[in-house]
Amino acid sequence: MKSQVLMLAPLALAVASLNVQADTVLNVATAGSDNMVQYVTDYLGPMFEQQHPGVKVNVVGTGPGDAGSQKIYEKLEAQARAGNEKWDIDVAVVHQSKGGDMVREGLLTSYRKDIKTGSLVSGDAVANALGTNVDGYVMPMFQSQTAIAYNPDLVKQVPASYDELKQWVDTHPQAFGYNGIKNGMSGVAFVTGWVYAYGGDAQKLMHGPYEQGEAAKWNQAFADLKNFNQKVTFTPGNAGTLDMLNRGEIAMGPVWVDMFYTWQADGRLNPDLKLKLIAPGMPGQPMYYVVPAKAEHADLAKAFIELATSPKVQAEGIVKKFNWYPGIDAQNVQSALDKADWQKLFTDITPADLSSNARPFPIAPYFDAIKEGYESQVAN
Amino acid sequence: MPALSHTSRSSALTGTDHSRTRGYGYSLLLLAPGLAMVLALFAYPFALSVWSAFHTEAGLTLANFSKAWQLYSKDVLFSVAIISLSTLLIAVLAVTIAGYLTLGSNPRIRAVLAWLYRWPLFIPFIVAAQIMRTFLAKNGLMNNALMEAGLLDPLSARSYLDWSGIVITFVWKQVPFVTLLLAGAMAGIDRSSSEAAQNLGASRLRILFDIVLPQSRRTLTVGLVLSVVGMLSVLSVPIMINAQTPTMLTVDMAYRINSSGDYGVANALGVMSYALAGFASWLYLRTMIREQQP
Repeated sequence: MKSQVLMLAPLALAVASLNVQADTVLNVATAGSDNMVQYVTDYLGPMFEQQHPGVKVNVVGTGPGDAGSQKIYEKLEAQARAGNEKWDIDVAVVHQSKGGDMVREGLLTSYRKDIKTGSLVSGDAVANALGTNVDGYVMPMFQSQTAIAYNPDLVKQVPASYDELKQWVDTHPQAFGYNGIKNGMSGVAFVTGWVYAYGGDAQKLMHGPYEQGEAAKWNQAFADLKNFNQKVTFTPGNAGTLDMLNRGEIAMGPVWVDMFYTWQADGRLNPDLKLKLIAPGMPGQPMYYVVPAKAEHADLAKAFIELATSPKVQAEGIVKKFNWYPGIDAQNVQSALDKADWQKLFTDITPADLSSNARPFPIAPYFDAIKEGYESQVAN
Repeated sequence: MPALSHTSRSSALTGTDHSRTRGYGYSLLLLAPGLAMVLALFAYPFALSVWSAFHTEAGLTLANFSKAWQLYSKDVLFSVAIISLSTLLIAVLAVTIAGYLTLGSNPRIRAVLAWLYRWPLFIPFIVAAQIMRTFLAKNGLMNNALMEAGLLDPLSARSYLDWSGIVITFVWKQVPFVTLLLAGAMAGIDRSSSEAAQNLGASRLRILFDIVLPQSRRTLTVGLVLSVVGMLSVLSVPIMINAQTPTMLTVDMAYRINSSGDYGVANALGVMSYALAGFASWLYLRTMIREQQP
């Protein structure tokens, strides 16, 4: 275990490299891609500092995918084991699965009842993180969704389902690209959607109960996926898929919707590229704001999350600037936005698409079994 | 080390056991900080990682190894193949460059080559990987340049961002390192025998392979073994260049830890890497011992 503590030294250094001039430093650690860190450094942090003179927001990005959340988890666990009275992360932004682990191991504070915006959220993700009850411990920062991005110049008949996609790939070898499961969550989401489509009872995977023998039913799905993989191009991550789409090296690939729109808004992506949420569905997930159990500045942390989940910030920051779906309930956000900004989120993927084809990730043990099954039956 | 020999010699001169013991005591004191560093930062984590590879909640077991082998056996073979091929190419290119630097006839080409070949030495692996990503992509710099020059048909362009990209990056990065060592060793060889052979009409190639290379073989082996160990431990190059499977062991280790917090299987893969590095070192030691025997 101590070796894990050693591995965390760089993260500890980053957190410790504080601005000494400020009276109070609020340490915010965020997992996820670059845009997550940017959101806090460029938008939310400065706003909070303005409202709280003498407070400095120190942001640490811990990296994309579950890996980023794992680093936060290990740091908190190390501080808990060491018996520290004050932990040096005040607010963390984590993925669903690790959020569930942290609640189970008592590393987080139940804070939703203490903040005014706590009543503005409802829905499954507020209480349930891949099968773990996290009610009270989390506030969704935003909801994000994976979908298939495609180049309409190269794809005339856009596949509307996994079945049609399989046929399309048969006739257009190497024109579809995804990032496997080791290079980020959009590839993991694509594989999960595949198992939902061909692995039997998708409802059971999403909502439980967990049954040991279930994974054996996916063998044919994995064998087909292995065959499918022979005809696709592998990309080095979500950003890699977008890059290759942009250079015309692939014509289609699964991506995170928010990153797609943000890149387009920044002029980094061909404005003609489009999105399609295929049937029977692809997964999306929220990112959670959490407060560690022994955060040094717990009250400031709650104020920070209250600001972050207020309708104004959700409208301006989450939807308008960063193209995420809001974390709090939509009716609380819609009124704070003009119609054009609201509509922009639903140009390619309509609310009807979302309600029929947006899926959560499976409960944790099935999720692990899917990743493991891919490793042993598809990649090997 | 000099401190040890110095004090032991002086205590030997005084001739008393007492002062000799004291001398050893001082030497140990001098060694202690370095030794403590090695123990704390190398030996302890190493032992811990080997221990964790053989240990699960059920006690001592090979479960981590069987899972690692079941999931990643292809990656083990892939890593061995990539590193063997890269090492072979590094050896060929290093001998060629160092050989020309030592025996080449055109002083101008030698000067340019000597100036050029070292450049990749100063570039970290991660930067090299990023350079190669833009250079070797399907619509990357290399293919675009070839297309502009009319040497490549755009439709037949292929991406080198796969196993070949890893080999190209490893070779590009390690050749200068081995060449630097090898050229140094070749320059230190007494020139009289090469000159004698030249006077007797031997070709430069013959001089290289029959006279110069045998005398600098040990340095070449050292360089190659160090390269093997270095390449085994690089994560950035395979992760950035080769998005497909199979992939190298370092990527699997990172994935086991990052995605599932599974230190057991990651450490089992680590022990396999130690074994591969150990095998390379054993080959090296064997040649060293053979050469030292009369």
